Amino acid sequence: MYDAMTQPLASLRNIHKAYGSLTVLSGINLDMSPGERVVVIGPSGGGKSTLLRIMMGLEEITEGSIEFEGQPYITARNGKTRIDADVRKKVGMVFQHYTLFPHLSILNNLMLAAVKTRGMPRAEARDKAMQLLARLGLEAKAGAYPSHLSGGQKQRVAIARALMLDPRLMLFDEVTSALDPELVAEVEQVMLELAEQRLPMMIVTHDMWFARNIASRVIFCAGGVVVEDGPPEQVLGDPVNPRTREFIQRVFHIHG
Amino acid sequence: MEYDVQFHYVKQAWPYLMEGLWVTLQLTFAANVIALTLGFGIALLVMSRLWFVRAPFALLIEFFRCTPVLVQVIWFFYCVPILFGVYLDPMPMGILALGLNLACFNAEAYRAAIQAVPREQMDAGVALGFSPLQRVAYIIFPHALRAALPVLITNGITLFQQSALVALVAIGDLMYMGKQVATQSYRPIETFTAVALIYFAVSFPVARLAALVERRLDVARA
Repeated sequence: MYDAMTQPLASLRNIHKAYGSLTVLSGINLDMSPGERVVVIGPSGGGKSTLLRIMMGLEEITEGSIEFEGQPYITARNGKTRIDADVRKKVGMVFQHYTLFPHLSILNNLMLAAVKTRGMPRAEARDKAMQLLARLGLEAKAGAYPSHLSGGQKQRVAIARALMLDPRLMLFDEVTSALDPELVAEVEQVMLELAEQRLPMMIVTHDMWFARNIASRVIFCAGGVVVEDGPPEQVLGDPVNPRTREFIQRVFHIHG
Repeated sequence: MEYDVQFHYVKQAWPYLMEGLWVTLQLTFAANVIALTLGFGIALLVMSRLWFVRAPFALLIEFFRCTPVLVQVIWFFYCVPILFGVYLDPMPMGILALGLNLACFNAEAYRAAIQAVPREQMDAGVALGFSPLQRVAYIIFPHALRAALPVLITNGITLFQQSALVALVAIGDLMYMGKQVATQSYRPIETFTAVALIYFAVSFPVARLAALVERRLDVARA
């Protein structure tokens, strides 16, 4: 039985990832406690998104293992990655490009996975979906199709769709990067509300202001390893490692 | 040479021509049902990661694409019974021949459409916990069907026209009935003109529909 008081929510051990001869991750070790909101920052190509995709079971790994709530989730052995599909159902993910199903209405986008993969009765799924949409101020859009929504609305629907399945951990992969600047706030607002409800999250973002606001912990990832790991005030405000310091200075210089 | 065009012969023969049109429509409909479903299956198989699954279906598609339909129809009628011991009535055999032909063309349309499904849609499918089969049914198929629809409709009309070839193997379709009427009435010009106009009257609106669907889908994507 999983004990949230003593056991980490997710435990990554020695994660290696290579695409052919290109090494992306070279030995990531990370324990994440329940209630933590980890923001992963770092230069492009530093392996941030790959790390999230691995945690969702979307990428194979070359070496290492992940436990989730004390259960074996992903293991690499003899070049084969084994992913436990039942454990994977405890993790949810929101992507950069919304990924709503264009042929389904917003309501059906929310209901489909709940009904088909979790066996939720349709009436119950409909109630739950409508409640979630109401919470996000989107109930008027229930019958609309994704192509009729703004980018910010689509991304909020994508978050609601993931929440339908009651994930124990939510992964956000640059979810505001494709949005017009004026639409970023509405999505970040939703995520901040989820943070208040203590939903565990792992977030990849380039928005340092947002990182500082939402994170309980910041990880600086570069060259396929964790370079610095600590509370946001320290990693973003007063980094110890020179590589982190250089990155933070550059980012804040650009963004003013 | 003087030829006295008299269309009232066509009027007399009209019920026969309509009977033939009905057979043509049944043939077209049944072949399309086979091709729309089987074509999707063939498209999936031809995209398999395993070469020994992929190869025979790739060969099948090329066979149907690289031989004349007329040859295919005749081959099915004369060679299939002898080679495979399959004895079917002319109508089911015609449906099978045309259905397989169309399935191979539709498979190509589906394949292109499947390859155009954004990778992130599949990622979302995994993240939401869909099994591989569910991902095909709930994500890939609806995507591919929409993307391929204009081509599928166009293929379907082409088959409606090509189905005239089965007249050669004594299926009583529109073309066959036209030939009968023309021979018996000694009025080939009127009869075959009427036959051509009937094919046109069915094809043209459907072709317009395909164009409309294509425009609608472009708007929906924008």
